[in-house]
Amino acid sequence: MNEELDSQLSAMFDDELPTAECELLARRLSRDEQLKARWGRYAVVGAVIRAERGVRLNAPLAGRISAVLLAEPSLESIPTAALRRPGMRWWQPLAASGLAAGVAAVSVLWLRTQAPVSAPVTAQLAPASGLHVGALLPARAAGSAQGDSYVVPPTPQIVPVVVPSTELANYVVAHSMFSSPVARRNLLSAFMTSEPAAAPPEEAQSDAKKAAR
Amino acid sequence: MSADVSDLSLVRRVQRGDKGAFDALVLKYQHKLVKLVMRYVRNPAEAEDIAQEAFIKAYRALPQFRGDSAFYTWLYRIAINTAKNAVVSRDRSPIEYDLDRHHSDESYDLQGRMKDSETPEGLVLTDEIRTTVNAAIDALPEDLRTAIVLRELEGLSYEEIAAAMDCPVGTVRSRIFRAREAIDRRLREVFEGGLGRAEELG
Repeated sequence: MNEELDSQLSAMFDDELPTAECELLARRLSRDEQLKARWGRYAVVGAVIRAERGVRLNAPLAGRISAVLLAEPSLESIPTAALRRPGMRWWQPLAASGLAAGVAAVSVLWLRTQAPVSAPVTAQLAPASGLHVGALLPARAAGSAQGDSYVVPPTPQIVPVVVPSTELANYVVAHSMFSSPVARRNLLSAFMTSEPAAAPPEEAQSDAKKAAR
Repeated sequence: MSADVSDLSLVRRVQRGDKGAFDALVLKYQHKLVKLVMRYVRNPAEAEDIAQEAFIKAYRALPQFRGDSAFYTWLYRIAINTAKNAVVSRDRSPIEYDLDRHHSDESYDLQGRMKDSETPEGLVLTDEIRTTVNAAIDALPEDLRTAIVLRELEGLSYEEIAAAMDCPVGTVRSRIFRAREAIDRRLREVFEGGLGRAEELG
């Protein structure tokens, strides 16, 4: 037998062979009966050195186990369902779905409560935005406070009234899997009917511009 | 070098359906396991039966083995549980051994009684194997003998043996291999002769 191979076998027996070589030798060891017998004798040498008394060194244990395992199915053929982690229970996916639906419902309710008060909020946010920009650009803010057109244009005042409805509509569409079709349709039609209410100011503005011209 | 690499290579092969790799694990650990089980049962033949049952349980549970612990540690736990269950079911009290204590005359007597149930030819062959290995170890050059004993008896890694013997790790690997080869040459004759004699007796 190849001396290098035997040297590798001895190192593998001691867990001192590099992983890559171990993989190759393990494959050979599982098929080569001569190599397996040598491997078994290495175990006997260790048992004698450790003076393992009461142990039959020629016990036919390995042969008996091998014979029993012949009748066993190969582990590769065991379906993956049988290998599933024991901690997983049938109710866990249902609980996860329920939790997701609950979070979605709370989000929808929260957005609906936010929508009516959006106009005053916008009024409060405008100066804050101005402060923020001023803090970022102190020199310009100090030098030309009146000439800055980027601070807050007058039109966005009406935009927040529309945005929550749009966001809410997008949200409902994106999470449509968690709501019933009837409820979804009612909600969306409610948004659509509320849209024209926001439109007149824009129309009024454009009319005013035309009149100014 | 990470520990348990060779066992894990064999375990992965078994998990992929290679039963031959499990034979190698059995050959490597059968003596250790029987010795372990003999802390719970008196009879070596019964200890072998329990060890066999533990190996088969381990094989069936191997798909769940993820390698978080060393294979032998996992196998050890299975064997201990199997032995305890066997003791309970047969309504026998376990024998407590102090493993750290050196063998006293009393324990030698106990070991002698344990062998009573073995077949005569089996006993002769076991003794012959023991005598042959010990004689082969005595005949080894000092550096080879020290290396193999430090490995097998003290359980030192190659790196630790290299430090103890003040030589490179490659030299340790070579010394241990040459020691095993020298012992194996003698042992092979006994195994082949022993098997032949057993057939004659049968």
